[in-house]
Amino acid sequence: MNNNKFMDFLERILLPIADKLNNNRYLTALRDGFMVALPLIIFGSIFVVIANFPFLDRVISKDAYAAYQNALGPASAATLSIMGLFVIIGIGYKLTQHYGGEALYGGVVALASFLILTPQVLGKTAGVIPTSALSAQGMFLGIFTAFTSAELYRFFVKKNWAIKMPPGVPEAVSKSFSALIPIALTLTIFLVVRILFSYTSFDTVQNFIYTIIQKPLTALGSGLPATIIAVLLIQLFWFFGLHGQIIVNSVFDPIWYTLNDQNLKAFQAGQELPNVITKQFIDSFLVGMGGTGMTLAVIVLIFLIGRSRQIKELGKLGGPAGIFNVNEPIIFGLPIVMNPLVLIPWLLAPVVVTIITYVSMATGIVPKPAGVIVPWTTPIIINGFLATGNHWQGGALQLVNLIVVMLIWWPFLKILDKNYYENEKKASNES
Amino acid sequence: MKKILLACSSGMSTSLLVSKMRSYAESVGEEAEIWAVGQDQAQEELKKADVLLIGPQMRFMKKKLEKYAQEAGIPIDVIDPVSYGRMDGETIYKKAIALIEK
Repeated sequence: MNNNKFMDFLERILLPIADKLNNNRYLTALRDGFMVALPLIIFGSIFVVIANFPFLDRVISKDAYAAYQNALGPASAATLSIMGLFVIIGIGYKLTQHYGGEALYGGVVALASFLILTPQVLGKTAGVIPTSALSAQGMFLGIFTAFTSAELYRFFVKKNWAIKMPPGVPEAVSKSFSALIPIALTLTIFLVVRILFSYTSFDTVQNFIYTIIQKPLTALGSGLPATIIAVLLIQLFWFFGLHGQIIVNSVFDPIWYTLNDQNLKAFQAGQELPNVITKQFIDSFLVGMGGTGMTLAVIVLIFLIGRSRQIKELGKLGGPAGIFNVNEPIIFGLPIVMNPLVLIPWLLAPVVVTIITYVSMATGIVPKPAGVIVPWTTPIIINGFLATGNHWQGGALQLVNLIVVMLIWWPFLKILDKNYYENEKKASNES
Repeated sequence: MKKILLACSSGMSTSLLVSKMRSYAESVGEEAEIWAVGQDQAQEELKKADVLLIGPQMRFMKKKLEKYAQEAGIPIDVIDPVSYGRMDGETIYKKAIALIEK
């Protein structure tokens, strides 16, 4: 009874948080913005994987290999490497759409506002926009700019300021000005901001946001403690049957993608990879093993030790989906939701896996994530192989983790299975 | 023909349910159009549906989508977690039909 009260209490706290985070218009626009960019990000990732095919550099000559990589380079340079651009357009579009305005204008205004704030010189070459500014490095500025520009644009549209035309001027002409004024005012504000910042020691707004917000936040997010907190939150939400990733990722994605991008740059330049924690660390090593909570281990265990009909049925139902990291049948069917018996392995296993993965990458036993984005439905082992930049150690680490999760779950699943088994026996005896 | 829309985070797990519901509908000889979408498309897609059912893990979407469902004049509900865990096509299909006919 006490147990139930505690659960009710926790759910009463978590449900409103989930509600707030998921229905907040900025976070929704942010999440949808990333969704817009995702196909392009994955397209770029595929070509990074192909360009870095294992052993190829040993099979063909050095020149041929360089030519091969150069030929494929633009695929990721035009998508993955400048993903910030697409996210910004997506956010501006979605937020303006939410307000019922002309979404496409919202998107391009956000883009233009961002470009106004972006440095337009590289070294001594003027008239260029450094692609690094359009990558995840400019992501935070891009997100803030997209939010503000969409708000400003909406504000000016609502004001409905129009230039009074003398009678006789065709209506279409005066209408063309009605779109012009909100856009012009919004962009002018950003231009003024840019000019003001050029007088500060930060020089550019990009530099300011990067130094003051992005750098400290990503440094915090790249650490083990913040990651464990994020992982625990995801697990806790799911324990109450709420989609943990949707809720937690909307806060962490900008950080994780930024870290991911830093690794991609280093990977493509053949340098040492700076980060262990990245978007792909989470997606491959925590989600990519059967879904959240690494439930592929639970499915394997079911086939190994399951005796009750209920558990065996669940294994058959959840198995095929679990290979592609869809695990709602397990979460709601075992059930994991609100089941005190599995709370310990449910919270413990992901933390242990996070630590093992972190340590084995930080010490160099397993290569760090290379910065490619692998679709989260990619099965285990292939997933780890691709995420680490085509290294077999990535897949092997997932196997080791799988066994660890199985060991953690073993006693708890055994008890659960036994309960079900005895209930089924009782039921069949009674009938 | 009844049009049943399911929605979850990315339309993955509900699409698993779609196939179960379809095969039940076929087994009783009823014609129904059943499909699943991700949360970002639910708002648009519900205009084409007679009923919208949300996966229980996304039940916090209901508040937002309720508004659009009302505008479209269709019922909306959250699938109960137990039937969802069993991927119980029959129960959920019957529930969807009951909601449409209410």
